Amino acid sequence: MIRGALVALLLLAFGAVRVPIESSLAARHRSAYFHETRLGLDLREQIGQLGFLAALSGFRSLVADVIFIQAHVAWERTEWGRVLLLFREATTLQPRSILFWDMAAWHMAWNASVAARHDPSQPNEALRRKAEQEYFALGRDFLVRGIKNNPDRPQLYEALARLEKDKLGDHAAAARLYARAATLPGAPEYAERFAAYELSYAPGHERSAYAALLQLYRRGPRERLPTLLKRLEILEEQLDIPFDQRIPDGAR
Amino acid sequence: MIKPAVAVRGLTKVFPIPFRRTRVVAVRGLNLEVAPGQVYGLLGPNGSGKSTTLKIILGLVSPSSGSTEIFGRDSREVGSREAVGFLPENPYFYKYLTGAETLRFYGKLCGLSGVRLKSRTGELLELVGLQNARDRRLGGYSKGMLQRIGLAQALIQEPKLVVLDEPTAGVDPAGSRDIRDLILDLKRRGITVLLSSHLLAQVQEICDRVGILANGVLVREGRVEDLLAIENQTELILQNATPEVLNDIAALLKKSSARLIEQRQPQTTLERLFLEATKAPAER
Amino acid sequence: MSKSGHSRFSLTRIAALTGNTFTELVRLKVFYFLLIFALLLIGSSIFMAQLSFQQEFQVLKDVSLGAMSIFTSLLAIVATAQLIPHDVEERTIYTILAKPVPRYEYLAGKLGGVLLLLALSVVAMTALFLIALFVRQEMLVGVTLRQTSGLRPEQVQEAVRTLKASAFNVNLFPGIVVIYLKAALLASLTLFVSTFATSNIFTICVMVFIYFIGHLQAMAREYWLQQNSAGWIAKTFLALVALVFPDLQLFNLVDDIVAGTAIPGPLFAQTAVLGCVYISVYFFFAWVVFHGKEL
Ligand SMILES: Nc1ncnc2c1ncn2[C@@H]1O[C@H](COP(=O)(O)OP(=O)(O)OP(=O)(O)O)[C@@H](O)[C@H]1O
Ligand SMILES: [Mg+2]
Repeated sequence: MIRGALVALLLLAFGAVRVPIESSLAARHRSAYFHETRLGLDLREQIGQLGFLAALSGFRSLVADVIFIQAHVAWERTEWGRVLLLFREATTLQPRSILFWDMAAWHMAWNASVAARHDPSQPNEALRRKAEQEYFALGRDFLVRGIKNNPDRPQLYEALARLEKDKLGDHAAAARLYARAATLPGAPEYAERFAAYELSYAPGHERSAYAALLQLYRRGPRERLPTLLKRLEILEEQLDIPFDQRIPDGAR
Repeated sequence: MIKPAVAVRGLTKVFPIPFRRTRVVAVRGLNLEVAPGQVYGLLGPNGSGKSTTLKIILGLVSPSSGSTEIFGRDSREVGSREAVGFLPENPYFYKYLTGAETLRFYGKLCGLSGVRLKSRTGELLELVGLQNARDRRLGGYSKGMLQRIGLAQALIQEPKLVVLDEPTAGVDPAGSRDIRDLILDLKRRGITVLLSSHLLAQVQEICDRVGILANGVLVREGRVEDLLAIENQTELILQNATPEVLNDIAALLKKSSARLIEQRQPQTTLERLFLEATKAPAER
Repeated sequence: MSKSGHSRFSLTRIAALTGNTFTELVRLKVFYFLLIFALLLIGSSIFMAQLSFQQEFQVLKDVSLGAMSIFTSLLAIVATAQLIPHDVEERTIYTILAKPVPRYEYLAGKLGGVLLLLALSVVAMTALFLIALFVRQEMLVGVTLRQTSGLRPEQVQEAVRTLKASAFNVNLFPGIVVIYLKAALLASLTLFVSTFATSNIFTICVMVFIYFIGHLQAMAREYWLQQNSAGWIAKTFLALVALVFPDLQLFNLVDDIVAGTAIPGPLFAQTAVLGCVYISVYFFFAWVVFHGKEL
C-alpha cells in the first residue's frame, strides 16, 4: 500500500521533471522540421479508426503511401473530389514528402482545373470559369501549406512559382518565389535566372528586372543565354536606356 | 560462543488476504535455533507454516515481526545466502535447459566458473544419479528427477547450510532412501541441514532434532530420541525363540512386577518390502 | 568464499541471468512468429514498392521501417510481460533468489536478456531491409540503363547516381537506433508494470494501452501547457496523461527520415539520452516495487 503510493509519487515526479524537457525537445524536433503537422482529431474521422491507430503506431508514412496510391487511382478515374480529399489526408500524414504536395497541387491546378473548364455537364461558361479558378486556388493552397512544412526545400517554391506565372499570371509573385528558391541549398542554377525573367514580365518592375538581368549578364558568358539577351533587349527598349550603356550587339 | 547455523527469533508472519478483511497468521511467535552440523526437521500438518518459515529464513518472504539469521547474518542481507543451498517444495526449473545446463546456470549465480564449475557439475550429477540424463531437457524429467536436480542445484557451491522443503515429496522409495542417505552423508561432512516434512518415519531416521509446528505455533521441540522414548517400556525382539523360551520368559515376568503388554509377530515394513522387490530385478 | 567476499554487484551473475533469459525467449514460439512475420513483411516490401507510383524507395522504406518499429515494440512488450510471472508461477524464482543474487541483479538480467533479443532482432531486420533495398535498387538501375541506352555515358552515370542516392541514406541508421531505443523503453516499462501486475495478460493489455496513449501524450502535454482556458477537470486530466505516460512520438523519427530529413547530430544525441533515461528510471521503479515483494 505504502509502496504503491510511493511509486505513484515517483512516477508523477519523474513526469514533472521530464515534461518540460520533452516539450522543449519536441519543439527542437519541430524546428528541425520533424512532426510539423500534428495528427488532428478531424484527421481521425477522415482516415477511419484502423488507419488512425496504424498512423499512430509507426505506420504513419505507410498509411500516407497507401492513400497516395489511392489518390492516383482516383485521378485515373477523374474523380476530382476524391483526389482532393485523398491528397489532403496523404499530405497531413506525411507533410515531409515534397512529392505529395507537388502532385496534389499539379492535379488540382493543371488537371482538375482543365477538366472543370471543359466540363460538358456544365453549360454555363461563367460557372465553368469559376470552377477552374477554384481548382487553381486549391493547387495554390497545397503548395503554400507544403512550403510552410518544408521551408528548407526549393522544389515547392519552384512549383508555386510555375503555378503563379502559368495559371494565375502573377509574374511578380513568381519572381519572388524563384528568388527565394535560389537561396536554398540544392536549388537548381536556373532559379535565379528565372526570377529575373519573371520580374521582366511583371509590369511596374522593369527597373529592378533590368538591374537583375544586367547583373546576371555581367557574371560572364555562361549566363548569357538567348532568353536573357532577348529580355534585356526588350527592357532596354522599354526603359530607353542610352545606346552607349546598352549591351553590345556582338554579345547577341 | 559458537553461532547457530540458523536462528529464528520471535518470528510472526501475517498474510493479508486482498479484498477481504481477514488475514492468515502463518507463523506465530516462533523461536528456534539450529546448531551447526545438525540435521533439523520441521514437522507439521499441511498449512502449519513450515514452508513460510523456510522462505523467511531465506529472505524470500519478509517477516511481519521478529527476525531470522543464518550464521549470524540477517536473512535480509543478500550475502547471508552465500553459503546456503535451498530446495523449494515441488521445484520447477527452466524446462528448456538440460540437467547440466541447469547446474551450470546456478553455479554461475553462486560465483563459480571455469574448471571448478565443470567438475562440480559432473560430481553432483553423479551424486544424485542423473549422469545419464545430463543432456536431456528438464521438460522431459519426471517429478523425482526434478527433485534430484533440485537437490544438486542446492549443493552446487558446497554450502554450509542446506535447506530442504519436503525433499522426498514425489520421490519413489528407492529415491527417497537415496536422498536420506545423501542427507546423512552431508551430516557426516559437517553440513547443517534444515528440512521440512510430514513423513514422520523418514524424519525419525535422519534428524537429530525436530520441531513440530501446528497452526504456526511451535508445539514440541527437542532431540528425536527424547521426544519418542517411552521411559517405562522396553522392547524385545527375539529370533528363533522356541515355545519353551517364551514360556520361561513368561514365568520370569510373573515373578517380577513387570507386565507384558503385547506379544506379536513383527512384520517387515511395506517400505522394506517395496525396496527388496524393486531392487532385485534391477540388480540381477 | 569468505563472509565478506560477497559482492553487491556482479557482472558474471547478471551475464548468467541475461544469457538464461535470452535462451528462454529464443525458445518461445511467439518470438519466431513475430520475427518471421516482420521479416516476411520486409521481404515483401520489394514487391509492394512495385505497386506504387513514382516513389518506389519511399514505400519500400516505409513498409520495412514501419514493420521494424511495430514488431520490435510488440516483441518488447510480449516478451517482457511474461518473464517475472512465469518465474513466480513456476517457482523458479525461489531457486534463483535463494542464491546470493540481489533482486536488482535478477531484474537487470531479465531486462538484459530482452534487450539482447531486441538488438539481435533489429540487426536481422536491418540486414534484410538493406538487402531488399539493394535488390530493388539494382532492379531499377537495370531498368534505367535500358531506358537511357541512347544517352551519353555521363548522363547515364548521373541518372544512376541520383537513383542510388535516393535509395540509401546514412540517416536511416540513427532512425533505426531510435526504433531500438523505443522498444527498449517499452521493455523497461513492461518490466515495471509486470512487477505489480497480477497476470501477464493484464500486463500486455496495460502496455498496449500505454503504447497508444504514449503516441498521443505529446498532444495532451501541449494542450495542458498552452491552453489556459480549459476547465480544471480537463486540465487535471491532461496533466495526468502528460505526467504518467511516456512521450513515444519523440521516438518516431523514421517517418521524417524516410521523407528525406536529416537528423541533426545533437538532436539525435538528446533523443537517445532521453531514451536511456527512460529505460533507467523505469528500471529503478521496477526495482522499488520488486525489492520488497512477497514471492
Ligand atoms: N503468499 C501467501 N498468501 C497468503 N497466505 C499464504 C501465503 N503463503 C502461505 N499462506 C498461508 O500460510 C499458511 C502456512 O502455509 P505454508 O505453506 O507455510 O504451510 P506448510 O506447512 O508448508 O504446508 P504444506 O505441508 O502443505 O506444505 C497456510 O494457511 C497458507 O494458506
Ligand atoms: Mg509447505
